[in-house]
Amino acid sequence: MSPDSRAAPLSTRNSWHRVVAAWRRFEAFHDEMFVAPWRQGLEREARRQDDTFRALVMLDALGVENPVAYETMELIPHLVGDLHAWHQRMGQDTFGDPGTCC
Amino acid sequence: MPAIVPALVVLGIFYLGYRHYSSYLARRVYGLDAQRATPAHTMRDGVDFIPTNKHVLFGHHFTSVAGAAPIVGPAVAAFWGWGPALLWITLGTVFAAGVHDFGSIVVSVRHRAQSIGTLASDVITRRARTLFLLIIFFLLTLVNAVFAVVISNLLIANPAAVIPIFLQIPLAIGLGQYIYRVRSSALLPSIIGVLVLYLSILLGMAFPLSIEPLTSALGIGERATWVVVLFAYTFVASQLPVWVLLQPRDYINSHQLFIALGIILLGLLVGFDVIQAPVVNDVPPGSKHWFPFLFITIACGAVSGFHSLVSSGTTSKQLAKETDARYVGYMGALGEGSLAVASVLAVTAGAVASTTEWNRLYSSFSAASGGATQNFVEGVAGFANNLGLPVAYGTVFAAVVVVSFAATTMDTGVRLQRYVVQEIGSTLNIRPLTRNIPLATALAVLVPVAMALLPGGGEKGYTFGVLWQLFGTTNQLTAGLALAVIAVWVTKRRRNPVAVLVPLVFLLVMTTWALVINMLEFIGQGQWVLAPLDMIIFVLAIWLIVEAGLALRRAWNDRTSEPEPEAKLDES
Repeated sequence: MSPDSRAAPLSTRNSWHRVVAAWRRFEAFHDEMFVAPWRQGLEREARRQDDTFRALVMLDALGVENPVAYETMELIPHLVGDLHAWHQRMGQDTFGDPGTCC
Repeated sequence: MPAIVPALVVLGIFYLGYRHYSSYLARRVYGLDAQRATPAHTMRDGVDFIPTNKHVLFGHHFTSVAGAAPIVGPAVAAFWGWGPALLWITLGTVFAAGVHDFGSIVVSVRHRAQSIGTLASDVITRRARTLFLLIIFFLLTLVNAVFAVVISNLLIANPAAVIPIFLQIPLAIGLGQYIYRVRSSALLPSIIGVLVLYLSILLGMAFPLSIEPLTSALGIGERATWVVVLFAYTFVASQLPVWVLLQPRDYINSHQLFIALGIILLGLLVGFDVIQAPVVNDVPPGSKHWFPFLFITIACGAVSGFHSLVSSGTTSKQLAKETDARYVGYMGALGEGSLAVASVLAVTAGAVASTTEWNRLYSSFSAASGGATQNFVEGVAGFANNLGLPVAYGTVFAAVVVVSFAATTMDTGVRLQRYVVQEIGSTLNIRPLTRNIPLATALAVLVPVAMALLPGGGEKGYTFGVLWQLFGTTNQLTAGLALAVIAVWVTKRRRNPVAVLVPLVFLLVMTTWALVINMLEFIGQGQWVLAPLDMIIFVLAIWLIVEAGLALRRAWNDRTSEPEPEAKLDES
């Protein structure tokens, strides 16, 4: 096989790789430019629902009597992790007694 | 004169505005600091607060602010000739919109990315928030009314656009479900989606749908029927979760915006179309003079208060560096100005082949305002034809683009109006209004329906032009409120507020002046719906002037003892 005949498929393969790489870059740009705001909207909606749920679970901590506190109490440990971000998002710089959260 | 000449002159001025004036604003007026941490970093939550690359953020910002309004206003204002329209777009964009959009981002960033309504309450007075809510209420009412008329007129004039427009709904829902459920890249499905939409134009052209036979059999107006159908659609659409329909439609629109802008600019460049309209039109006797009505006819495209809602609502939360505000905010204003320039050139060069033809289309303000959007559509078709697209296809394509923009604006408008109605219900302690979403939506829909169906001037004439100007007025008042917030903030920091005060005073004077002339005219004509509406907006304008004046005087007295040191701009 002459060197020329080997070079041709290699160059075609390189060109193909370049095309694929350019397509991937364009995909990444497109996702960041057009899809990201949309996904952001989805995440915002999911967070809004989470916030409502968290408020219901933590009614007692907010000073409202919760008729199903016994059932929801076991969920509280799962919600403590991002408690700080939540109360700040709700407009309260600190949460409850000093040391409870921050 | 070839249309490309004024286009290049305006773009050249935009470049100088960005290069020099926005740099002056950044250094001397807003005192940006590249080292100061922005809320995107300090309050980072991965949802709203995300540091974003400035070019990408510009794309997000531009697609949020650009829509049908910078197309319709300039297309109407060409009635006074292309000279005044382009002059106001150029000066307004460089000295008012740039200052306003850029400043709204900066003030919001310096106040934990709060929205302009909250900032009005914090920076001016608590009363200013009520004023803001009222202005927004009328802005939304009018925007919904005028866009319903815009869409109706386009669907009547272009029955071939009906199928693509209605096909866009399942297409958007399908694309939405794909992006919701599949985490892989959305590029290929998006290309396919947009291609299907533009191929459906051929289907629409083969089967144009007109409701005229039905409406004439029933003895009702064609426009009135479309208006009712559109509001029925928005009544349902605005109650769906945003991700089901609104966001997918917005997503398709953001692609359409860049495609349409590309076609207009390339067509303009290749075709060398000649402007057929006069520089200053010798308007028929009795017509309104361009001064001051031009300034409320072109709001979006010269300066628009709506941008402050986007700037302070989402953009300020994603700004990675304070200095990026210049690029994102000022450039966003220039982008919208460019769309407005394209609109003026489309209706003065692309839409017509002779001056006689243009004079016929713009024979009166009523004719100009009623036919403005269709003229734009035909102008874009002319530009598209320079690129080899058949005129018939180009016309439907442009109609689909404008209707898509206007329909999403209506969906968003009715949705926001519902929130305002609910907030008013909460303030007045009317429980059904706050809790019953269909009731609140019905109220949000009924007022604009009534306005869109206002009698006067035939099917698509006089009332639309007047409603459009009232919409422009409320939009300018929103801009005035944002500029007042920015001016107070700049003054308190002992920086020179003249660059903000000049557009603020100009907008308030022109708006009030136009409102007074319109009010006298409405009273003289016995227009007992428009006259009170105009009077309410006039009261809001006076209220805004008083609040802004008092706040500025307080700010002058409360100035910090030393001006903040001028920060170096690190634009790397």
